[in-house]
Amino acid sequence: MINESISVIKVRDVLMVAMPGDPDDATVAALQEKTLLAMEQHEVRGLILDLSKVDTLDSYFARTVTETAAMVTLMGGDTIIAGMRPAVAITATQLGLDLGVTRTALSVDVALEMACFQPGQVGP
Amino acid sequence: MRDAPPNGSARLTGRDDTLEMLQLLVVNMADYAITMLDTEGHVLTWTPAAERLKGYRTDEIIGKHYSIFFTDEDVAARKPVTELEASARDGRFEDEGWRVRKDGTRFWANEVNTALRAPDGTLRGFGRVTRDLTDRMRTEEQIRKQSQEILEMATVPVVQVWDGILLVPLIGMLDSERTQQLMERLLVRLTETGSRVALLDITGVPAIDSLTAQHLVETIKAVRFVGSEVVLTGVRPSIAQTLVHLGIDLAGVVTRSSLTAGLRVALDRLSLTVVASARGAQADHQ
Repeated sequence: MINESISVIKVRDVLMVAMPGDPDDATVAALQEKTLLAMEQHEVRGLILDLSKVDTLDSYFARTVTETAAMVTLMGGDTIIAGMRPAVAITATQLGLDLGVTRTALSVDVALEMACFQPGQVGP
Repeated sequence: MRDAPPNGSARLTGRDDTLEMLQLLVVNMADYAITMLDTEGHVLTWTPAAERLKGYRTDEIIGKHYSIFFTDEDVAARKPVTELEASARDGRFEDEGWRVRKDGTRFWANEVNTALRAPDGTLRGFGRVTRDLTDRMRTEEQIRKQSQEILEMATVPVVQVWDGILLVPLIGMLDSERTQQLMERLLVRLTETGSRVALLDITGVPAIDSLTAQHLVETIKAVRFVGSEVVLTGVRPSIAQTLVHLGIDLAGVVTRSSLTAGLRVALDRLSLTVVASARGAQADHQ
Protein backbone atom coordinates (compact mmCIF):
# COMPACT_ATOMS: atom_id res chain seq x y z
CA MET A 1 0.00 0.00 0.00
CA ILE A 2 1.32 3.42 -0.90
CA ASN A 3 0.85 6.05 1.76
CA GLU A 4 0.12 9.40 0.17
CA SER A 5 0.35 11.52 3.31
CA ILE A 6 4.09 11.86 3.03
CA SER A 7 6.38 12.57 0.12
CA VAL A 8 10.12 12.58 -0.29
CA ILE A 9 11.33 15.43 -2.47
CA LYS A 10 14.75 15.62 -4.04
CA VAL A 11 16.08 19.19 -4.18
CA ARG A 12 19.45 19.44 -5.92
CA ASP A 13 21.42 16.77 -4.08
CA VAL A 14 19.40 16.64 -0.90
CA LEU A 15 16.28 14.67 0.02
CA MET A 16 13.57 16.49 1.96
CA VAL A 17 10.72 15.09 3.96
CA ALA A 18 8.16 17.18 5.85
CA MET A 19 6.30 15.22 8.50
CA PRO A 20 2.60 16.06 8.99
CA GLY A 21 1.38 17.39 12.34
CA ASP A 22 0.15 14.21 13.94
CA PRO A 23 1.50 11.29 11.90
CA ASP A 24 -0.16 7.89 12.33
CA ASP A 25 1.83 4.64 12.40
CA ALA A 26 1.33 4.03 8.67
CA THR A 27 2.75 7.47 7.85
CA VAL A 28 5.72 6.87 10.13
CA ALA A 29 6.36 3.52 8.46
CA ALA A 30 6.09 5.18 5.04
CA LEU A 31 8.70 7.75 6.09
CA GLN A 32 11.34 5.06 6.43
CA GLU A 33 10.41 3.09 3.31
CA LYS A 34 10.13 6.07 1.00
CA THR A 35 13.32 7.69 2.31
CA LEU A 36 15.43 4.58 1.85
CA LEU A 37 13.97 3.95 -1.59
CA ALA A 38 14.83 7.53 -2.61
CA MET A 39 18.34 7.14 -1.18
CA GLU A 40 18.80 4.15 -3.47
CA GLN A 41 17.36 5.87 -6.54
CA HIS A 42 19.19 9.19 -6.30
CA GLU A 43 22.75 10.24 -5.76
CA VAL A 44 22.30 12.56 -2.79
CA ARG A 45 24.33 13.89 0.12
CA GLY A 46 21.66 13.14 2.64
CA LEU A 47 18.28 13.81 4.14
CA ILE A 48 16.61 16.79 5.81
CA LEU A 49 13.70 15.70 7.98
CA ASP A 50 11.43 18.64 8.73
CA LEU A 51 9.57 18.16 12.01
CA SER A 52 8.33 21.75 12.38
CA LYS A 53 4.67 20.73 11.97
CA VAL A 54 4.90 17.83 14.40
CA ASP A 55 3.33 18.48 17.79
CA THR A 56 3.15 14.96 19.22
CA LEU A 57 5.86 12.36 19.43
CA ASP A 58 5.38 8.74 20.48
CA SER A 59 8.03 6.09 21.06
CA TYR A 60 7.37 4.41 17.71
CA PHE A 61 7.86 7.65 15.80
CA ALA A 62 10.96 8.51 17.84
CA ARG A 63 12.47 5.09 17.22
CA THR A 64 11.71 5.25 13.50
CA VAL A 65 13.44 8.62 13.22
CA THR A 66 16.64 7.33 14.89
CA GLU A 67 16.56 4.11 12.89
CA THR A 68 16.01 5.87 9.59
CA ALA A 69 18.88 8.26 10.33
CA ALA A 70 21.16 5.30 11.09
CA MET A 71 20.09 3.57 7.86
CA VAL A 72 20.67 6.72 5.80
CA THR A 73 24.17 6.91 7.32
CA LEU A 74 24.79 3.29 6.28
CA MET A 75 23.76 4.18 2.75
CA GLY A 76 26.31 6.98 2.73
CA GLY A 77 24.24 10.05 3.56
CA ASP A 78 23.93 12.58 6.37
CA THR A 79 20.67 13.22 8.18
CA ILE A 80 19.63 16.56 9.64
CA ILE A 81 16.53 16.83 11.78
CA ALA A 82 15.09 20.31 11.39
CA GLY A 83 12.61 22.47 13.26
CA MET A 84 11.72 20.29 16.23
CA ARG A 85 9.39 22.21 18.55
CA PRO A 86 10.30 22.81 22.23
CA ALA A 87 7.43 20.66 23.55
CA VAL A 88 8.37 17.82 21.23
CA ALA A 89 12.03 18.15 22.25
CA ILE A 90 11.04 17.77 25.91
CA THR A 91 8.98 14.67 25.08
CA ALA A 92 11.90 13.31 23.08
CA THR A 93 14.18 13.73 26.11
CA GLN A 94 11.67 11.98 28.33
CA LEU A 95 11.38 9.12 25.83
CA GLY A 96 15.16 8.82 25.91
CA LEU A 97 15.53 9.51 22.19
CA ASP A 98 19.16 9.16 21.21
CA LEU A 99 20.14 10.89 18.01
CA GLY A 100 23.58 9.34 17.81
CA VAL A 101 25.53 11.15 15.11
CA THR A 102 22.42 12.72 13.59
CA ARG A 103 22.63 16.47 13.37
CA THR A 104 19.86 18.94 14.11
CA ALA A 105 18.94 22.40 12.84
CA LEU A 106 16.55 25.11 13.97
CA SER A 107 14.86 25.12 10.55
CA VAL A 108 15.14 23.67 7.04
CA ASP A 109 16.69 26.98 6.06
CA VAL A 110 19.48 26.55 8.57
CA ALA A 111 19.88 22.87 7.63
CA LEU A 112 20.51 23.79 3.99
CA GLU A 113 23.30 26.13 5.06
CA MET A 114 25.07 23.43 7.00
CA ALA A 115 28.45 22.31 5.79
CA CYS A 116 27.55 18.77 4.74
CA PHE A 117 25.05 20.04 2.19
CA GLN A 118 27.26 22.74 0.72
CA PRO A 119 28.51 22.25 -2.83
CA GLY A 120 32.19 21.47 -2.98
CA GLN A 121 32.14 19.32 0.13
CA VAL A 122 33.09 15.69 -0.24
CA GLY A 123 29.85 13.85 -0.90
CA PRO A 124 28.62 10.75 -2.64
CA MET B 1 -27.32 25.58 74.92
CA ARG B 2 -25.40 28.16 73.02
CA ASP B 3 -24.67 31.56 74.40
CA ALA B 4 -27.35 34.12 73.83
CA PRO B 5 -26.45 36.07 70.69
CA PRO B 6 -25.04 39.48 71.58
CA ASN B 7 -27.66 41.32 69.63
CA GLY B 8 -30.40 39.42 71.50
CA SER B 9 -29.87 41.06 74.83
CA ALA B 10 -28.00 44.21 73.86
CA ARG B 11 -30.14 47.29 73.33
CA LEU B 12 -29.18 50.54 71.78
CA THR B 13 -29.08 53.20 74.41
CA GLY B 14 -29.24 56.87 73.81
CA ARG B 15 -31.61 59.67 73.14
CA ASP B 16 -34.06 59.51 70.27
CA ASP B 17 -32.05 62.01 68.22
CA THR B 18 -28.89 59.92 68.50
CA LEU B 19 -30.82 56.86 67.32
CA GLU B 20 -31.90 58.91 64.36
CA MET B 21 -28.27 59.80 63.77
CA LEU B 22 -27.44 56.11 63.82
CA GLN B 23 -30.02 55.55 61.11
CA LEU B 24 -28.48 58.39 59.10
CA LEU B 25 -25.09 56.72 59.51
CA VAL B 26 -26.37 53.42 58.09
CA VAL B 27 -28.08 55.13 55.17
CA ASN B 28 -25.20 57.45 54.34
CA MET B 29 -22.31 55.08 54.83
CA ALA B 30 -20.67 55.35 51.45
CA ASP B 31 -18.21 52.47 51.48
CA TYR B 32 -20.43 49.85 53.05
CA ALA B 33 -23.72 48.65 51.59
CA ILE B 34 -25.77 47.82 54.68
CA THR B 35 -28.99 45.93 54.10
CA MET B 36 -31.40 43.89 56.17
CA LEU B 37 -32.88 40.59 55.13
CA ASP B 38 -35.87 38.75 56.59
CA THR B 39 -35.42 35.25 58.03
CA GLU B 40 -35.77 33.71 54.58
CA GLY B 41 -33.39 36.10 52.84
CA HIS B 42 -35.73 38.66 51.26
CA VAL B 43 -34.40 42.21 51.12
CA LEU B 44 -36.05 44.48 53.72
CA THR B 45 -33.97 47.67 53.54
CA TRP B 46 -31.82 49.36 50.92
CA THR B 47 -29.39 52.26 51.01
CA PRO B 48 -27.87 54.61 48.42
CA ALA B 49 -24.54 52.83 48.86
CA ALA B 50 -26.21 49.50 48.09
CA GLU B 51 -27.80 51.03 45.02
CA ARG B 52 -24.45 52.42 43.86
CA LEU B 53 -22.73 49.08 44.38
CA LYS B 54 -25.34 46.68 43.05
CA GLY B 55 -27.31 48.85 40.64
CA TYR B 56 -30.84 48.18 41.91
CA ARG B 57 -33.20 51.00 42.93
CA THR B 58 -35.01 50.67 46.24
CA ASP B 59 -38.41 49.97 44.65
CA GLU B 60 -36.91 47.25 42.45
CA ILE B 61 -35.19 45.28 45.14
CA ILE B 62 -37.32 45.41 48.29
CA GLY B 63 -38.95 42.03 48.77
CA LYS B 64 -36.67 40.24 46.28
CA HIS B 65 -34.67 37.26 47.50
CA TYR B 66 -31.02 38.12 48.10
CA SER B 67 -29.81 35.19 45.97
CA ILE B 68 -30.19 37.65 43.06
CA PHE B 69 -26.76 39.05 44.11
CA PHE B 70 -25.04 35.70 43.68
CA THR B 71 -23.50 34.15 40.58
CA ASP B 72 -25.34 31.27 38.89
CA GLU B 73 -22.62 28.88 40.05
CA ASP B 74 -23.00 29.98 43.66
CA VAL B 75 -26.79 29.67 43.48
CA ALA B 76 -26.41 26.18 42.00
CA ALA B 77 -24.10 25.36 44.90
CA ARG B 78 -26.89 26.55 47.30
CA LYS B 79 -24.56 29.18 48.73
CA PRO B 80 -27.32 31.73 49.54
CA VAL B 81 -29.12 29.08 51.60
CA THR B 82 -26.07 27.79 53.44
CA GLU B 83 -24.90 31.34 54.26
CA LEU B 84 -28.15 32.10 56.06
CA GLU B 85 -28.04 28.73 57.83
CA ALA B 86 -24.48 29.38 58.96
CA SER B 87 -25.36 32.91 60.13
CA ALA B 88 -28.37 31.63 62.10
CA ARG B 89 -26.30 28.86 63.66
CA ASP B 90 -23.13 30.80 64.50
CA GLY B 91 -24.55 34.30 64.74
CA ARG B 92 -22.21 35.53 62.01
CA PHE B 93 -20.89 34.50 58.61
CA GLU B 94 -18.19 36.17 56.58
CA ASP B 95 -17.34 35.47 52.97
CA GLU B 96 -15.37 36.87 50.08
CA GLY B 97 -16.21 36.22 46.46
CA TRP B 98 -17.66 37.37 43.16
CA ARG B 99 -21.15 38.91 43.32
CA VAL B 100 -23.35 40.10 40.47
CA ARG B 101 -24.66 43.61 39.79
CA LYS B 102 -28.00 44.35 38.17
CA ASP B 103 -26.32 44.78 34.77
CA GLY B 104 -24.70 41.36 35.08
CA THR B 105 -21.15 42.60 35.75
CA ARG B 106 -19.29 41.11 38.68
CA PHE B 107 -17.55 42.67 41.62
CA TRP B 108 -15.38 41.15 44.32
CA ALA B 109 -17.18 41.49 47.62
CA ASN B 110 -16.42 41.02 51.27
CA GLU B 111 -19.67 40.28 53.04
CA VAL B 112 -20.56 39.86 56.69
CA ASN B 113 -23.92 38.40 57.54
CA THR B 114 -25.15 38.85 61.10
CA ALA B 115 -28.17 37.10 62.60
CA LEU B 116 -30.55 39.58 64.26
CA ARG B 117 -32.39 38.07 67.21
CA ALA B 118 -35.07 39.43 69.49
CA PRO B 119 -34.36 39.51 73.25
CA ASP B 120 -36.12 36.13 73.60
CA GLY B 121 -33.80 34.61 71.00
CA THR B 122 -36.21 34.34 68.07
CA LEU B 123 -34.61 35.08 64.72
CA ARG B 124 -35.85 38.37 63.32
CA GLY B 125 -33.71 38.50 60.22
CA PHE B 126 -30.19 39.25 59.09
CA GLY B 127 -28.01 42.31 58.78
CA ARG B 128 -25.73 42.22 55.77
CA VAL B 129 -22.69 44.44 55.21
CA THR B 130 -21.13 44.37 51.76
CA ARG B 131 -17.85 45.96 50.79
CA ASP B 132 -16.57 46.26 47.22
CA LEU B 133 -13.00 44.97 47.19
CA THR B 134 -12.63 44.65 43.41
CA ASP B 135 -9.84 47.23 43.25
CA ARG B 136 -7.93 45.61 46.09
CA MET B 137 -8.36 42.22 44.44
CA ARG B 138 -7.06 43.55 41.11
CA THR B 139 -4.07 45.19 42.77
CA GLU B 140 -3.26 42.01 44.67
CA GLU B 141 -3.53 39.97 41.49
CA GLN B 142 -1.24 42.37 39.66
CA ILE B 143 1.33 42.25 42.44
CA ARG B 144 1.13 38.47 42.48
CA LYS B 145 1.65 38.34 38.72
CA GLN B 146 4.58 40.74 38.84
CA SER B 147 6.33 38.91 41.63
CA GLN B 148 5.77 35.66 39.75
CA GLU B 149 7.45 37.17 36.69
CA ILE B 150 10.34 38.52 38.73
CA LEU B 151 10.74 35.16 40.43
CA GLU B 152 10.69 33.37 37.10
CA MET B 153 13.23 35.76 35.64
CA ALA B 154 15.47 35.33 38.68
CA THR B 155 15.07 31.55 38.62
CA VAL B 156 15.87 31.07 34.97
CA PRO B 157 17.29 34.17 33.31
CA VAL B 158 17.70 33.77 29.57
CA VAL B 159 19.57 36.67 27.97
CA GLN B 160 20.39 37.25 24.35
CA VAL B 161 24.02 38.37 24.22
CA TRP B 162 24.46 38.35 20.46
CA ASP B 163 22.44 37.52 17.35
CA GLY B 164 22.23 33.75 17.61
CA ILE B 165 23.71 33.44 21.11
CA LEU B 166 21.70 33.10 24.32
CA LEU B 167 23.22 33.19 27.78
CA VAL B 168 21.76 31.46 30.83
CA PRO B 169 23.66 32.51 33.96
CA LEU B 170 22.54 29.98 36.56
CA ILE B 171 22.91 30.95 40.19
CA GLY B 172 22.18 28.74 43.18
CA MET B 173 21.20 25.12 43.49
CA LEU B 174 19.35 23.45 40.66
CA ASP B 175 16.42 21.30 41.67
CA SER B 176 14.13 19.31 39.40
CA GLU B 177 11.44 21.97 39.18
CA ARG B 178 13.90 24.71 38.34
CA THR B 179 15.64 22.62 35.70
CA GLN B 180 12.27 21.82 34.14
CA GLN B 181 11.53 25.57 33.97
CA LEU B 182 14.99 26.17 32.57
CA MET B 183 14.50 23.59 29.86
CA GLU B 184 11.11 24.96 28.79
CA ARG B 185 12.14 28.62 28.81
CA LEU B 186 15.45 28.02 27.09
CA LEU B 187 13.92 25.89 24.30
CA VAL B 188 11.18 28.42 23.65
CA ARG B 189 13.62 31.34 23.60
CA LEU B 190 16.04 29.44 21.34
CA THR B 191 13.36 28.72 18.75
CA GLU B 192 11.86 32.22 19.06
CA THR B 193 15.15 33.95 18.48
CA GLY B 194 16.53 31.33 16.10
CA SER B 195 19.67 31.09 18.23
CA ARG B 196 22.15 28.38 17.41
CA VAL B 197 24.18 28.49 20.61
CA ALA B 198 23.14 28.57 24.25
CA LEU B 199 25.82 29.42 26.80
CA LEU B 200 24.83 27.61 29.98
CA ASP B 201 26.94 29.22 32.67
CA ILE B 202 27.17 27.33 35.97
CA THR B 203 29.73 29.62 37.64
CA GLY B 204 27.11 30.50 40.25
CA VAL B 205 26.06 26.93 40.97
CA PRO B 206 27.73 26.00 44.28
CA ALA B 207 27.63 22.23 43.89
CA ILE B 208 26.30 19.56 41.60
CA ASP B 209 24.83 16.22 42.61
CA SER B 210 23.99 13.33 40.31
CA LEU B 211 20.34 14.39 39.96
CA THR B 212 21.29 17.96 39.01
CA ALA B 213 23.85 16.67 36.55
CA GLN B 214 21.22 14.37 35.04
CA HIS B 215 18.87 17.34 34.62
CA LEU B 216 21.63 19.33 32.92
CA VAL B 217 22.35 16.46 30.55
CA GLU B 218 18.63 16.25 29.68
CA THR B 219 18.48 19.99 29.01
CA ILE B 220 21.55 19.77 26.79
CA LYS B 221 19.93 16.90 24.84
CA ALA B 222 16.63 18.74 24.42
CA VAL B 223 18.49 21.82 23.15
CA ARG B 224 20.14 19.61 20.57
CA PHE B 225 16.77 18.26 19.46
CA VAL B 226 15.51 21.71 18.50
CA GLY B 227 18.65 22.29 16.48
CA SER B 228 20.86 24.35 18.79
CA GLU B 229 23.94 23.60 20.81
CA VAL B 230 24.79 24.10 24.47
CA VAL B 231 28.20 25.32 25.50
CA LEU B 232 28.57 24.60 29.20
CA THR B 233 30.70 27.26 30.86
CA GLY B 234 31.87 28.00 34.38
CA VAL B 235 33.06 24.44 34.99
CA ARG B 236 35.25 25.02 38.05
CA PRO B 237 37.76 22.39 39.27
CA SER B 238 35.40 21.11 41.97
CA ILE B 239 32.55 20.79 39.48
CA ALA B 240 34.82 19.02 36.99
CA GLN B 241 35.89 16.57 39.70
CA THR B 242 32.28 15.88 40.69
CA LEU B 243 31.17 15.33 37.11
CA VAL B 244 33.93 12.80 36.49
CA HIS B 245 33.43 11.02 39.81
CA LEU B 246 29.69 10.76 39.20
CA GLY B 247 30.43 9.27 35.79
CA ILE B 248 28.31 11.85 33.99
CA ASP B 249 28.68 11.43 30.25
CA LEU B 250 29.13 14.84 28.69
CA ALA B 251 30.66 13.48 25.50
CA GLY B 252 29.79 15.68 22.58
CA VAL B 253 29.13 18.67 24.81
CA VAL B 254 31.53 21.57 24.58
CA THR B 255 32.52 22.62 28.09
CA ARG B 256 34.76 25.49 29.16
CA SER B 257 35.94 26.73 32.50
CA SER B 258 35.26 30.40 31.81
CA LEU B 259 32.41 32.23 30.20
CA THR B 260 34.92 34.11 28.04
CA ALA B 261 36.22 30.88 26.54
CA GLY B 262 32.64 29.72 26.03
CA LEU B 263 31.72 32.94 24.24
CA ARG B 264 34.72 32.45 21.96
CA VAL B 265 33.43 28.98 21.07
CA ALA B 266 29.95 30.40 20.41
CA LEU B 267 31.29 33.15 18.12
CA ASP B 268 33.37 30.55 16.32
CA ARG B 269 30.26 28.40 15.74
CA LEU B 270 28.61 31.36 14.07
CA SER B 271 31.80 32.00 12.06
CA LEU B 272 32.23 35.37 13.76
CA THR B 273 35.59 36.91 14.58
CA VAL B 274 36.16 39.72 17.02
CA VAL B 275 38.70 42.17 15.67
CA ALA B 276 40.15 45.13 17.51
CA SER B 277 39.48 48.33 15.59
CA ALA B 278 42.47 50.18 14.11
CA ARG B 279 42.03 52.99 16.60
CA GLY B 280 42.07 50.53 19.49
CA ALA B 281 45.24 48.88 18.15
CA GLN B 282 46.97 52.27 17.89
CA ALA B 283 46.04 53.12 21.43
CA ASP B 284 47.60 49.82 22.51
CA HIS B 285 50.89 50.78 20.86
CA GLN B 286 51.19 54.14 22.54
